[in-house]
Amino acid sequence: MQIDTQKDTNISAAPPKKSLSPWAIARKKFVQNKLAMISFIFLVIVGIISFLAPYITTADITRVNIADMSLEPSSKHWLGTDKSGRDVFTRLIYGGRISLLVGLSCTIFVIFIGTLIGSVAGYFGGAVDNLLMRFTDFILNFPFLVFVIVINAIFFGKVSGLWVLIAVISFLYWGGIARIVRSKILAEKENEYITAAISIGCSPAKVIVKHLLPNVLSTIIVQATITFASMIVIESALSYLGFGVPQETPSWGNMLNSANEPDVLQYKLWIWMPPALIITMTILSINFIGEGLKDAFNPKSRR
Amino acid sequence: MLKYSFRRILGMIPMLFLISIVVFTLAKLMPGDGISGEIDPRNTDPQYIAEMREKLGYNDPMPQQYFRWIDNFVQGDFGKSTRFKIPVADVISERLPNTLMLGITSILITYILAFIMGSYAGRKPYTFGDNFIGGLNYLGLSIPSFIAGVFAIYLFSFTLGWFPSNGSVDIGVTDGTLEYWLSRLHHVLLPAIVLGLLSTASYTQFLRNDIIENSRKDFVRTARAKGTPERKIYNVHILRNSIIPLITFLGFDLVAIISGAIITETIFTYPGLGQLFLQSVGTRDYPVLMTLTMLFSFLTLIGNLIADVLYGVVDPRIRLD
Repeated sequence: MQIDTQKDTNISAAPPKKSLSPWAIARKKFVQNKLAMISFIFLVIVGIISFLAPYITTADITRVNIADMSLEPSSKHWLGTDKSGRDVFTRLIYGGRISLLVGLSCTIFVIFIGTLIGSVAGYFGGAVDNLLMRFTDFILNFPFLVFVIVINAIFFGKVSGLWVLIAVISFLYWGGIARIVRSKILAEKENEYITAAISIGCSPAKVIVKHLLPNVLSTIIVQATITFASMIVIESALSYLGFGVPQETPSWGNMLNSANEPDVLQYKLWIWMPPALIITMTILSINFIGEGLKDAFNPKSRR
Repeated sequence: MLKYSFRRILGMIPMLFLISIVVFTLAKLMPGDGISGEIDPRNTDPQYIAEMREKLGYNDPMPQQYFRWIDNFVQGDFGKSTRFKIPVADVISERLPNTLMLGITSILITYILAFIMGSYAGRKPYTFGDNFIGGLNYLGLSIPSFIAGVFAIYLFSFTLGWFPSNGSVDIGVTDGTLEYWLSRLHHVLLPAIVLGLLSTASYTQFLRNDIIENSRKDFVRTARAKGTPERKIYNVHILRNSIIPLITFLGFDLVAIISGAIITETIFTYPGLGQLFLQSVGTRDYPVLMTLTMLFSFLTLIGNLIADVLYGVVDPRIRLD
């Protein structure tokens, strides 16, 4: 992405007395990146509206209302109603709650497992590394979508669907993150400050958490944004196929499910277009934020 | 190189064995068995069901069942589909050509589009055309394929009527004629474009960046200094260097097509393996489900292997040991 490069020369033009810390520089670069900031604000607004859903509309999301079936958008129903007479706008913001919750929780779990395994494997090396990485390879060799669908089908109906979905997705997805973190840690641990930390008697846990992780944190943050975007795609794709969030729970993917009916797809745009657009815009803005972060953490990029 | 490939292929065997155990365990953990998917328990004598279970070996100890299954599997006997009542191999081979056609068309479209867009954008970086292609790529990377599919059907099938929205061939055309193949191509085109959207975007981006990077290298400066025409510099000197790394993506393509096919074939109701897989989960057709899962896992392994080996072929500096 090429976003006004000439503008922000003031950092180098007037050198401040005390030079900024890497984090402060990154923050400054990010805030000055217009596209990333707009995306960030958009995402925050979507997030706030979604999480405040119960306070914004009081309509019952589950009740089927035969009288209001497939109404076009009007002042009463801003985005119309779906085939069961449920208000599309209400479902959209409740759906955002579920989709963002699933996306966020999966991201947190994936990053946590991936960082843990990657940093332990990278720091200790040798047999530990070998064992953990073979396990990672094993997980990575499963075709992801196929196994998520199969495992979900096993648990379907037995346990509450949402957390099963999150657990299954997280368990099958962390491999890539573990590999990236491991390679970063491998490079970082060769530095002398790590030898120094070990020689003054820091425990391995302390070396990893206090000295190694802060130095690979920028990579992890960038990976986390990419993962967040993928998770939202995966959740909605699975729900669209009917193997994700339980049908009665509104999520963006479940709402799109109705686009499977040719009649809805062709003539009732208001039912499937809003979730399709909001998913795309959310992914787009997360990608822009990720790109902005990558750029902000890159010491070579001049802004 | 050969030694490395050989070792990797040998290393696949224990991996496949482990995967087969996982697949078998998962299939056994799924609710119901082949019989409950096939027979309506209300209309059938319970004793008959019990007898059938015994006869099919559903009451044997798990390890015994596993070895019977894997033994038959290795010999090419995948069992009999409980839904279609014909051997699984027949069910799959009936659908396989459709998925192959979808995958190959998709890869071809991806490569052609990425080649055209990437080399144009790389040749004229930071111009309007480059920015336009960059914007398209951004959309391609951000729109999930199922949403792109839904939009594509709405726009090209329903509104414009250019492409059919479902199936793999028109009803009533004779097998083997030119008309038949044209009809199949017509049906496969839209799903293939949607399937290749993501890789098209990332290939284009990769090719563009690589061309820009190469155009700053010394050999290009030398070529310019000799007075080589600009067109020849790009078409011969740079392209040759930039196109090779793209080959390494072929392995990942294979993996991406597997999961992509599940989604794309369902949206376009295209009768291929992906659709068959989802149907087999829905109808508890375990023999088909297990065979397909094994097949997909095998292809993923092959895809990763190809990617790793090609990496070494393309860039000899990468030490493979």
